Amino acid sequence: MDMRVPDRRRFLTLTAAASATPLLSACGAGFGGNEERKGGGSAADDVTGSFDWKKARGRTVKALLNKHPYTDALIADLKSFTEKTGIEVEYDVFPEDNYFDKLTVDLSSGRASYDIFMLGAYMVWQYGPPGWLEDLGPWMSNSSATGAEWDQGDFFPNLLQAGQWSLKAGAPLGQGGQYALPWGWETNVVAYNTEVFKKLGLRPAETFDELREMSGAIKRRAPGAGFDGMYGVAVRGSRSWATIHPGFMTMYSRYGLKDFTVDGGRITPAMNSPEAVAFTRDWAEMVKKGGPPSWTSYTWYQCSSDLGAKKAGMLFDADTAAYFQAVKGASPASGKIAFHPGPKGPDGSLATNMWIWSLGMNARSGNKHAAWLFLQWATGKEHLRRAAVEGNHIDPVRRSVSQDGAYKDKMKGIEGFIETFETVVDQTKIQFTPQEQFFDATTSWAAALQEIYGGKNATSVLNGLAGDLASKVG
Amino acid sequence: MKRRLLAVAADGALILYFVFALFPVAWMIILSLKPANELFSTYFSFTPTLDAYRTVLGAGSDEGVPFLRFFVNSLVVSLGAVGLSLVIGLPAAYAAARWRFRGSENLMFTLLSFRFAPELTVIIPLFVLYQKLGLFDSYVGMVWVLQLVTLPLIVWIMRSYFSDLSPELEQAALLDGYTRKQAFFKVALPLVGPGIAAVSLLAFIFAWNNFVFPLVLTSSEAQTVTVGALSFLGGDRPKYNLTAAAALVSVVPPLLLALTIQRYLVRGLSFGAVKS
Amino acid sequence: MSPSLTGTGHGAASRGGGGPPARAVPHWRRGLRPYLLIVPALLLTGGILYPFGLGLYYTVFDFAASKPQPDMVGPENYRRIFTESSFWESARVTVLYAVGAAAVETVLGVGVALLLHGSTRVGRVLEKILILPLMIAPVIAAIMWKLMLQPSVGVINHLLEPFGMGGVQWTDTPAGALLSSIAVDVWIYTPFVAILALAGLRSLPASPFEAAAVDGAGWWFTFRKLTLPMLWPYVLVAVIFRFMDSLKVFDIIYALTEGGPGDSTVVLQIRAYLEAIRFQRYSFGISYMIVLWAVVYLVTMVLVRYLGKVQNRAAEVPK
Repeated sequence: MDMRVPDRRRFLTLTAAASATPLLSACGAGFGGNEERKGGGSAADDVTGSFDWKKARGRTVKALLNKHPYTDALIADLKSFTEKTGIEVEYDVFPEDNYFDKLTVDLSSGRASYDIFMLGAYMVWQYGPPGWLEDLGPWMSNSSATGAEWDQGDFFPNLLQAGQWSLKAGAPLGQGGQYALPWGWETNVVAYNTEVFKKLGLRPAETFDELREMSGAIKRRAPGAGFDGMYGVAVRGSRSWATIHPGFMTMYSRYGLKDFTVDGGRITPAMNSPEAVAFTRDWAEMVKKGGPPSWTSYTWYQCSSDLGAKKAGMLFDADTAAYFQAVKGASPASGKIAFHPGPKGPDGSLATNMWIWSLGMNARSGNKHAAWLFLQWATGKEHLRRAAVEGNHIDPVRRSVSQDGAYKDKMKGIEGFIETFETVVDQTKIQFTPQEQFFDATTSWAAALQEIYGGKNATSVLNGLAGDLASKVG
Repeated sequence: MKRRLLAVAADGALILYFVFALFPVAWMIILSLKPANELFSTYFSFTPTLDAYRTVLGAGSDEGVPFLRFFVNSLVVSLGAVGLSLVIGLPAAYAAARWRFRGSENLMFTLLSFRFAPELTVIIPLFVLYQKLGLFDSYVGMVWVLQLVTLPLIVWIMRSYFSDLSPELEQAALLDGYTRKQAFFKVALPLVGPGIAAVSLLAFIFAWNNFVFPLVLTSSEAQTVTVGALSFLGGDRPKYNLTAAAALVSVVPPLLLALTIQRYLVRGLSFGAVKS
Repeated sequence: MSPSLTGTGHGAASRGGGGPPARAVPHWRRGLRPYLLIVPALLLTGGILYPFGLGLYYTVFDFAASKPQPDMVGPENYRRIFTESSFWESARVTVLYAVGAAAVETVLGVGVALLLHGSTRVGRVLEKILILPLMIAPVIAAIMWKLMLQPSVGVINHLLEPFGMGGVQWTDTPAGALLSSIAVDVWIYTPFVAILALAGLRSLPASPFEAAAVDGAGWWFTFRKLTLPMLWPYVLVAVIFRFMDSLKVFDIIYALTEGGPGDSTVVLQIRAYLEAIRFQRYSFGISYMIVLWAVVYLVTMVLVRYLGKVQNRAAEVPK
């Protein structure tokens, strides 16, 4: 497929170091992309005849996975995939903090060391434009490659659309190629400690003002009421893109605020609009008065463990971060954690941002049919139901699984989980503007948030951020 | 009296430093013995359990991290890297210390400068190169790349040991009819034995603890403990007890090596006695 | 001499022996031999750095994930780096970090080595475990420190609570974040300096000290005029390695602060990592690293030259 492969191989050997020009495409970090596909159409077109799981038997698929309960559930079920298809799966599991470094280096090198991998919707914006991701659309629509039981309509539409993009900065999701399939996800809501709420006579906040007020109140009153060192609300604060997308972006969106405005292809930073400045100032204020000490070092590890250790009265973050502290025997707060959709926006909005652990295929994979069968199985009803019921695959991407009796029974024990999930699921989507510089923009945004928290003027910090991003993103 | 007081003060200062140095290690031991649900809620009073070690070592584990294999990988790769560095590095250090030749300082400095190339600069092209040469995820590849860590350290530190060694002994040996090679192996090398032991230990530790290279240049076959230990921090909850246990288990080989080397050092010292 | 990890039995004899040994052998046969001995080492390390040359080559392009077909831009990347205030801010923090960490490690490491050398019973026991912090992988050590420093559940604030310091927010201010990172660096690497210093101490000749004692020289005088100058070459090698490594610090800061709060601990290597890997602006990120490499190169060159002088001077001290 790739006409330049022989060249690349030749130039990459040590002896050819001197020849300059072809080196870029040769060693290059593979940024050449896969333009060779443009003329040739999708490899999915090669699959014809009636659908059969066994069509690619004898093949081996290589997967790069991130350490996660969803992954554990997948690995536990791999035998049934191999039985069904005759395809072997080899996998590498890497620690979460370094997973994307590993994946990025692998993809950007232009190698096909892995056929399939886990990624998030935001990664599509970085990996998609250079052509590293296979468009799964042709596979999905080819009835020879995809069985009817896969049932595309069963996915929550916002989740499926999150992996669908035209690769044009600023263009909305839900159009263009399908670069990732939803597999497991996390919605961002409020989890709270029922014990402290009862003791202090609190009810979950319905507005952001209430949430701010309540966070401060818990920090002031809880330590005196037998909750040593407890503060109000745990939210992420480290200098990372991951700080923005959970609680912050959710509340930001409920206020109807945007990260960027798109006008005829022009993308303009909007995090410095007067309303956004006011909201950001309030958020920083909330953290100062009712958030965790040393907030600027807070990743989800700290947020989640504080909720479990009864140091945080509330958590505004991924539902999974609270769920795994809430289950029996996991932490001192087990059984005392309940879920709530969180504060509504001024107009009642429950717009929610999300993280989706998706599965994607390497555009350079030489094993696409087998890889597609794997993706189809891993995102299919059979595995996802089993993973949800027997494993810890707790936020189903499929409606059918979310309505499954056994699943519901399992989740019933956690107060408010199902109700919360069902309340927000239709309003949960990717709230960011898709664009390639997402990671830079959100990292700088987090740094700006830290500066405002540190006492700098919100207007000037956010104006600085917007000015900086305008030149990078536009 | 004043001297006694001074000695006590010195011991006091020493103990103070060691409290700082050892407390985190002690804390990691405590952490590794905690039940998973008490990681963040108890400090010193809890019912200790060996569960974390059981999980890390793969007994009764559902964690899916083949830690023992990583362990063997680390051992092979680190020992290989130090061994190769000694074979290549000791002659180089000796030459740099004994001969003054055109460009010797520049050559030595170039070697040192390899050590401070930021790993991230080379990591992507290196990754591609390794894939092409078939060195990706292999012991040979890891041993080679770790030379960046171990070789400059060994050459530079051993050079100062060699140049501290009086050349008269070797000259005497040469007069006794030894060849240059024999003089190196039979006279010079034994005399710097303790230095070799100390620097090998340091090099071994740095190779053992390296993180960026195994992260990017290995996958399942040659992955090492440092990457493996971090795997316990993902997913549902940060399992610091497992990471602590994994880190402590991986301290065992360098620690054993240190103790072994202590025995060897006694021998090295007796050579020193012969010399004087 | 105690049979310890760092004991080096050879020094006493050689030091007394006279001038710089390398110069004492000019009449030895010259020729290819020294090159033959050194070249394998160079090839082995240089070979692996072949991609480094490629990296250098990339920096005159504008390679990025968002720019799959790169254009030659000449020195544009470098121009941008040097005109961006964020670079100079990063450079400032990096130098502060490196100087701070290397200085504290040197003083503390030499201090510990002196105490261990002079000490009797206590020292012998402690010496065996001196190296322990070095054995914990820095990435993991930094994560453990972060956990220990977490005010809500961390053990350090818990222990400080009785002293009214339970609320310290270690990494929440720019100064605090930098100092905390340096503290972790000091914790990990002080043993490295201490071990090399101790090895040096053990190889110092006894005679000058005996002479000084006969003359009735005080402790401070002996330390300043004899111990320190003679020990310095050993220590300096350690300092060079520490300084070099802390100029390119990455994992400690990445685990502890990720560069925050604000931009306050974004050292050069963090920025280079973010640009090259996280943001996939490959050419620009690599240019950052090349600049960092050049800085380390120059600084080390100065230090090594100084080391050479110190070694020569030290060799003359005993006379």
